[in-house]
Amino acid sequence: MKLELGKIEIKDIQFADRTYIEGHVLYVNKEEVEALVLEDDKLLECHLDIARPGEATRITPVKDVIEPRVKISGGEMFPGVIGKVSPQVGTGRTHALEGCCVVTVGRIVGFQEGVIDMSGPAADYCPFSKTMNLCVVIEPKEGLETHVYEKAGRMAGLKVATYLGEAARNVEPDTVEVYETKPIFEQAAQYPDLPKVGYIHMLQSQGLLHDTYYYGVDAKQIVPTFMYPTEIMDGAIVSGNCVAPCDKVTTYHHLHNPVIDDCYKHHGKDINFMGVILTNENVFLADKERHSDMVAKLCEWMGLDGVLITEEGYGNPDTDLMMNCRKVERAGTKVVLITDEFPGKDGKSASLADTCEEATALASCGQGNATLKFPAMDKVIGTLEYIESQIGGWAGCINEDGSFEAELQIIIASTIANGFNKLAARGY
Amino acid sequence: MVKGIEKYGIPVVHMCTVVPISRTIGANRIIPAVGIPYPLGDPTQGEAESYKIRERLVERALKALQLPVDEQTVFEKDNF
Repeated sequence: MKLELGKIEIKDIQFADRTYIEGHVLYVNKEEVEALVLEDDKLLECHLDIARPGEATRITPVKDVIEPRVKISGGEMFPGVIGKVSPQVGTGRTHALEGCCVVTVGRIVGFQEGVIDMSGPAADYCPFSKTMNLCVVIEPKEGLETHVYEKAGRMAGLKVATYLGEAARNVEPDTVEVYETKPIFEQAAQYPDLPKVGYIHMLQSQGLLHDTYYYGVDAKQIVPTFMYPTEIMDGAIVSGNCVAPCDKVTTYHHLHNPVIDDCYKHHGKDINFMGVILTNENVFLADKERHSDMVAKLCEWMGLDGVLITEEGYGNPDTDLMMNCRKVERAGTKVVLITDEFPGKDGKSASLADTCEEATALASCGQGNATLKFPAMDKVIGTLEYIESQIGGWAGCINEDGSFEAELQIIIASTIANGFNKLAARGY
Repeated sequence: MVKGIEKYGIPVVHMCTVVPISRTIGANRIIPAVGIPYPLGDPTQGEAESYKIRERLVERALKALQLPVDEQTVFEKDNF
């Protein structure tokens, strides 16, 4: 499966009377976008705002972040959720609006939605402090059940991203990158002397607003399966979760999975990147046992020499991480784990909830319990009303002027457990 | 907490869903619970059935509490 990913660099967003791209600027028809969002009768109000890098702006509570993309060779983005499922997912040509994001914002769904600061000390920890952000601020109807509100917010973001992606359909990309993974026997034969490496991608699937969707299927209902990495670049996986902000894998991060990016960079040089094994993190022990068994079986069946494993969230998913590690190692495939750490405010607690003897190689993405002082900002997109109860905050942590102190956990993607951050143990 | 209480010579039964974590932290008597969102019961089966599940697990725990063990033991069944 081969995908050409054309990237159109977006340097600014402006509101205009129609939606188009010209001279690296994305012009957005505000009324059209707001009307699109309000097609959903679960949402009462919607307004758009633009947040640019360097501005004294705080965005919170953030639900998801999405990069607008469009399929230009047949097929549709976010298959099974927005677009139709088709064999074109992960193949052909896709255009992306590089450096520009849709950010969904609004009253909290759970307590696990985070903060993006466009400048100041917290901006160093967040990738979306450096992107041009179109913030979609939504107001739900009174009395909506939480999961209904979550779905409305999730769909609003994906719809807007798909709408904006259309603007890139006929624009010549600044760069085109080509990614290719062949069917298993051909791929193994292409680089017979290089170690065969796979990526075990654990999706958050604890339920109760901790969900991820694979072609529209709730990830807690899947059993481990194989994916071509390029399917993910076309939105085959979307985030629906309210996991702790710091290690939330937003839909943007699925599109930009750094493990997949890096494996492709090494593909044909020092590794033979064979593809992705997709699995989940369910809340029943029988699921954890069954799915880690199946992951190990897939590694053996694919003849993998080594795998990288990432998780989403922390706590009981650490057990899925370790069960996968133990069983895959015992099946004869070497494992490197990638995760973040939570050693408590004093740094004295065990930084993972579980461990195993086979876990001998681990790349850390930093720890989420360290605290930071967040200065007051000139502008708030969303509301500061919930800072004290958002993960990383505490009673009394916020001051009257809007400044507050909180753990790094409150910042979107600050310790994201796939390494898409600056706290990861990697070279720059 | 399990280890902290046992340090004072009081035996503990750890009832939990994720048995591997219980093993890692060093619990000595472990009873696998139903699931993380509802360890002692199962709301999908209605209140009466859920109560029965809870009663059975608690009875098992009380029995396990009285049994001397010399290594980490997982009580998966009632007959021990």
